[in-house]
Amino acid sequence: MTKITFFICTLVGSILLFAEPYVAQAEQAGSSPAAQTANSSPASAVDPTKNGEVLFATSCGWCHSNGGREAGRCPKLAGSTRSDDFIINRIKNGKEGRMPAFGQTFNDAQIQNILHYIRSLQP
Amino acid sequence: MRKQSRNIAFAAALVAGTMLGTTASMAQMVDSKRLETADRDAKDWLMYHGSYKDYNYSGLGQINTSNVKNLEVAWMHFPGRTTRGMQSMPLAADGVVYYSGSYSRLFALDGATGKVLWTYFPELDDALIARQTHSPYNRGIAMGDGKIYVGTVDGRLIAVDMKTGKPVWDTKLINSQKLTVGFTGAPLFVRGKVIIGSQGGEWPVQGTIFAVDAATGKEIWSFSTTGGTEEARKTWGNDTWRVGGGGGWMPGTYDAETNTIWWGTANPSPLYDWSPNWQTDGARPGINLYVTSVIALDPDTGKLKFYHQELPHDNWDFDSAIGEFVMIDRGGKHYMVHPNKSGFIFVYDRANAKVENVWPLVHNYNFVKGIDPKTGELIGRRDFSAGPQSEPLCPAIAGGVSWNSGSYSPKTGLYYKIGNEWCITLEVVKTTPITEPQVQLNIGANFKMAPPPSGTIYGHLDARDPITGKLKWEVKFPQPPLASVLSTAGNLVFVPDARGILHAYNAETGTELWSHDDGIGHNGGIISYMAGNKQYIAVEAGFGGLVGDDYGSMFGEPWKSMPRDAGALIVYSLK
Repeated sequence: MTKITFFICTLVGSILLFAEPYVAQAEQAGSSPAAQTANSSPASAVDPTKNGEVLFATSCGWCHSNGGREAGRCPKLAGSTRSDDFIINRIKNGKEGRMPAFGQTFNDAQIQNILHYIRSLQP
Repeated sequence: MRKQSRNIAFAAALVAGTMLGTTASMAQMVDSKRLETADRDAKDWLMYHGSYKDYNYSGLGQINTSNVKNLEVAWMHFPGRTTRGMQSMPLAADGVVYYSGSYSRLFALDGATGKVLWTYFPELDDALIARQTHSPYNRGIAMGDGKIYVGTVDGRLIAVDMKTGKPVWDTKLINSQKLTVGFTGAPLFVRGKVIIGSQGGEWPVQGTIFAVDAATGKEIWSFSTTGGTEEARKTWGNDTWRVGGGGGWMPGTYDAETNTIWWGTANPSPLYDWSPNWQTDGARPGINLYVTSVIALDPDTGKLKFYHQELPHDNWDFDSAIGEFVMIDRGGKHYMVHPNKSGFIFVYDRANAKVENVWPLVHNYNFVKGIDPKTGELIGRRDFSAGPQSEPLCPAIAGGVSWNSGSYSPKTGLYYKIGNEWCITLEVVKTTPITEPQVQLNIGANFKMAPPPSGTIYGHLDARDPITGKLKWEVKFPQPPLASVLSTAGNLVFVPDARGILHAYNAETGTELWSHDDGIGHNGGIISYMAGNKQYIAVEAGFGGLVGDDYGSMFGEPWKSMPRDAGALIVYSLK
C-alpha cells in the first residue's frame, strides 16, 4: 500500500515536473509557433480577433474547413452554440481520435484570441 | 541382410529427414538474399510493396478470372483499438500473416485459419498522442533476419522476434515530446539495416530518414531532408531549413544492382507561401531542397548519391512521400516510376534519377499548366499572394493520388493506379515565421474541398502503360477509393473502395468480375499469399484517415456515420 502511494506520488510528481517547464518555456520564451506569433505580432495587443485569425490559419485551418466557416474534416465553428468554456476546454484538451490537444501549444491569451476569431465568424 | 537393409533405410530416412528439416528451417529465414529475390517468390509477401521492385503484384494464379466468382471470406481478425481505421500493409511469410494496427500493435496469425500466434502491444506516450493530428495510425512493418520492425508515433523503432513476438530492441530516434512528429510509415529492411523516415511535412521540424542496425538497434546514420547538405541549406532563405518540414513518412525501396536506397520526401513547412516572389522572399525563400523530392542514398553511409526535386518550392502540398518506386526494364533501359501527389507520374533513369518522362494521371490540375516530359521542369506554375484565391486549386490538398499504392502487373505490362478528381477553394494567410523547431502544424491557409471544373468529384482506376502513360482502360468511382490496389497472375485487379466494397476486375479489360461488401470503408493495404497450398487475399477494412475525414461532408452517408475506430483484417479464399 505504501509502495503504491509512493508510486502514485512519484508518477504525479514526474508529470508535473515534465509539464511545468514545458508550458513555462512556451509562455515565457515564446517558443511555440503560436507564442511566437502572438509575441511578435503588433496586432495581438489591439486586435485579438485578427491575432486569432492568424493562429487559426497556422494550426487549425488544416481540419476546420474554410477557416471554420463550414463543415469538412471537422465541425463547422461559425455560429457554434457551444459555450465559451466548452470551446476553450476542447482547444486545450482535444478529443481522442478526432482533435489534438493544444493546451501545450497555445497559452490562455492565445486561446482567448482564437475564441474571439471563432465568435466573429458569420453563422 | 534384412537388418542391413533396415539400417540403410533408417539412415536414408534420417538423411532425408535432416534435409527436409534444413530446408524448412531455411525457408523460414527471411534474410537479405530472400528479400532481394522476393519478386520471384509468389507464395509470400515479404515487404510493404511485395518486393523491392514495388509491383504490389502477386505471382499467384490459383484465384483467377474464371473462378473469382467463388471467392468468399475464409477468416477475419479484429485488432481492436482501431482509432483512425486500418492503414497498414500486411506481410506474409511461410504461411504466417503479420500486420500492424493503430498504436503500432503487432499481430502474427496463422495464414490458413487466422489463429493468433502472438501479439505485441508497445506502451506509448498517450499524452503525446493526445497532442498529435496525424496519429495514432500505423502504416506498416518490415521483416528481416528473424525480426519484425515497427515505428511508433512517439519516435521509436522497435524490433520483435518473428517467431515469439518478444521485443528484441527498442530505440528512441526522435524527441517526439518536443517536436510532436514520430513514425507512422513502414520501415524498409536493407542488408542488415532498418531504414525509416519520420513525419515532417507541415510541422516546423527537420524531417529525417534514419538507418538502424537490425541486430542491435543502434543508430547507424541519419539524413536530414531539409539540411542534409550545404547545397540544401543554401536553398532555404533565412535558415528556414531548420524548420522546413519534409521527412519521408512512407517506405522507399532498394535497388540492389546499384546498392541504392530510393526514398520520397514530404512537403515543406509552412504548406502555403504568401509570396509570389518566393525565390527571394516569403515564408521559405528558395527552391527548398530536398523536400518534395526523390532522393537516392547510400545504404552504408547515408550519403546522398543523386536526387530529383519533383516540385521546386512546393507551394501546394503535393509532396513526393508516396513510397512507390516501380522498377521496370524495357528496351535496354532501367526505369524507376514514381507517382507524385499532384497526380503526375515521374519516370526516371534508375542510374541517376534523370527524368525520362512525366505524364498526368489526373485530368483536373491547375497548380501548373504542365510539366516538361523531357526535363521535369514545371511550366506555368501557380504561386500565391496572401488572401482568397480567385479560382479553386486543383487537385485538392488530398492529392491527385493518395499515399496508398497502385500495382504493376508484369503479365499485362499495365500499371493500375487510382486518380482523384477534386479541388479546393483556398485562402492563403500570412502567418508569423517560426524560427525554431516546435510543436504543431504550420499551414498558412484556410481551405475547403470543392468540385473540379469538369463537374463532380470522382475517382478512377486507370490501367496505363507505366512509361508512356497510354491509357488502356478506366473504371470510375463516384467517391475516390483510398486504399491500395493489388494485381495478380490470375489476371485480376483488386480495388478495395472507400464505401467498403472489394472489387475484382479483369486485368486486361477492366470488366468487373466479383465484389463483396466488407461493411466499412477501406483505407489500407491488400496482399495475396499462399498457406497450405491455398491462395488467400487479405485486405484491411477500416476507415478514418485524414482524407477520408472529409467524405462525410462531401458525400453524406454511409461516411457520415461510418465509425473511425473500427476495422478488421478480412481474408478471402476460394470456396
